Amino acid sequence: MARLELRGLRKQFGRGVVALDRLDLEVGSGELVSLLGPSGCGKTTALRIVAGFEVPDEGEVLVDGVDVVGLPASRRNMGMVFQSYSLFPNMTAEDNVAYPLRIRRQPKAERQRRSGELLAMVGLATQADRYPHQLSGGQQQRVALARALAHEPAVLLLDEPLSALDAKVRVTLREEVRRVQLELGITTLYVTHDQEEALAISDRVAVMSEGRLEQVGTPAEVYASPRSPFVASFVGTVNRLEATVASRAERTVRCGELVLRVGAEDFEHPDGTTVALYVRPEDVTVRPLTDGPAPAGAGGTVRGVTFLGSVTRVRVDCSLGSVVADVSSEEALHLAPGEAVSVELDPRRLRTLAPA
Amino acid sequence: MAALTATAPARPVPARGPRRLARRRLPIWHLLWLVVAAAYFVVPVVSLLEFSFGGRVGGHAAGFHWYLTVFNDPSFRSSFLLSVRIAIETVVLSNLLLVPSVFWIHLRLPHLRPVMNFVSVLPFVVPPIVLIVGLIPFLSPFTFLYSRPEVLAFIYVVFALPFLYRSLDAGLRAIDLRTLAEASANCGASSASTLLRVVLPNLRAAVIGGSFLTVAIAMGEFTISSLLSFNTFPVYIFNIGENTGNEAAALSVISLLLTWAFMVGLFIVGRGGRAGAQVAATR
Repeated sequence: MARLELRGLRKQFGRGVVALDRLDLEVGSGELVSLLGPSGCGKTTALRIVAGFEVPDEGEVLVDGVDVVGLPASRRNMGMVFQSYSLFPNMTAEDNVAYPLRIRRQPKAERQRRSGELLAMVGLATQADRYPHQLSGGQQQRVALARALAHEPAVLLLDEPLSALDAKVRVTLREEVRRVQLELGITTLYVTHDQEEALAISDRVAVMSEGRLEQVGTPAEVYASPRSPFVASFVGTVNRLEATVASRAERTVRCGELVLRVGAEDFEHPDGTTVALYVRPEDVTVRPLTDGPAPAGAGGTVRGVTFLGSVTRVRVDCSLGSVVADVSSEEALHLAPGEAVSVELDPRRLRTLAPA
Repeated sequence: MAALTATAPARPVPARGPRRLARRRLPIWHLLWLVVAAAYFVVPVVSLLEFSFGGRVGGHAAGFHWYLTVFNDPSFRSSFLLSVRIAIETVVLSNLLLVPSVFWIHLRLPHLRPVMNFVSVLPFVVPPIVLIVGLIPFLSPFTFLYSRPEVLAFIYVVFALPFLYRSLDAGLRAIDLRTLAEASANCGASSASTLLRVVLPNLRAAVIGGSFLTVAIAMGEFTISSLLSFNTFPVYIFNIGENTGNEAAALSVISLLLTWAFMVGLFIVGRGGRAGAQVAATR
């Protein structure tokens, strides 16, 4: 197991296109860290620099404290799974997995033993003699994962390995990747633009935007306590509402007709300032106004109802603005467009940030 | 239950339309045009074949006489073997020069591809006679090379360039070279290993296809070998044709058969290449 550190990585392409702007990140031994961000945020560039396919303009890539920037990709002892299917078309699955060992002149018996072991680990023991074009996309990526692990690399790099697969296979395979990573305890850097994927499998998530790290934290931290408007809006679905600080001392904000006490720990906004109030759809309660006495929430009207399976997403126009709420599909049976409702926000889950 | 188990009534099979709908008659003009086009290519070959068996020898029909004469002529064998040797040398030299170059251009210097495309067209534009007139003063000081038939291989590499380059270029474009090369490097392979173990096997069809065309060029080239006074197979055919028409016809038939054999080879390789293209398409 190795420790990976990226220090002050900077990379500029052509004139003015800054792909990475002083990126600092640490991946502990046996940890899986995801680089999460939209297309063009620099996450793949960072991964390619670690792999040795790009040279940074500045900065260091340390593996167990040793800078590997000067080493060619072939001598970095890293395993990588690529976004596009990268299996060698002229080799069977077994030969693909054995390739790193063949390059290292391992005896044939050892190559066969190791590739058989790895193919079994990814559930493809019976497909060893198949060529890549005889395997499905998911199977090809499993073989690619086995190949990336064959030479027991110090660090495993995954560059959006599931993005070409259909949704169901993606979910299965991401669990498989995590299981294998935990089984081997290998230090892993995982690049993805899919926030659900990153939250599901990572020990920590590093959210990137425009070549910079916006926030690094556990999936729960990043989801529940975003530190920037970008993170709040990029990770998960969120309602962004305009609010004014009523009292800094009492941690209250005024949003529409409601005065809300905010639960966030770092409430540092001066009185009277305008802030952006973030609340997740699952932290919004929508009640039909016909339910007994008038509730304490803001009054509004249902504008749209979208069935998503176990939950239903309800869009309500109210004095707070346009608010999206996730309610159980059973409760949503009583809600229809045009219906008058009351909207309540869970104050413990409110997050305030200075407007972007 | 009945509703669940009931099967839908069998759908009536639509009656087939009149046969004339399935087999449309070819308009007479189309047919005539095809016959004229076919005759344009077939008649000279048939005439050549007939002429190669024609004439009388010792009061009898010639039959295979001209073919036997050709095969028994020591010059036939020596000229043919010389051409084969030069063709093999040309193929080896062309591939040694071009495969790594095109690989590197695709992988590391893609901005040079337009330059390479332009250079590869030059042999089409410059006539062989112009090329050899320019080459003779350049080559004459190198007597050890100039006097040996190997000099032809060096020159034919230039003529083979467009064909081999195009073939390799198409082959490399059909595979995701960058990803394969990076995956190989990530596995610990050097560039040479990547070229030999990953890229070349996936370029098999392109290399063999381009090599066949190179062989065809080297086996059929007349102008330069004649000007440099090497008795290659085309030069031998030309010399025979000046003396005995029937024998030259027999030689031409042999030459045609060899060319067609190469074409069949190309076809077989092409079928192998389609599997490779399928592999590329699945990615």
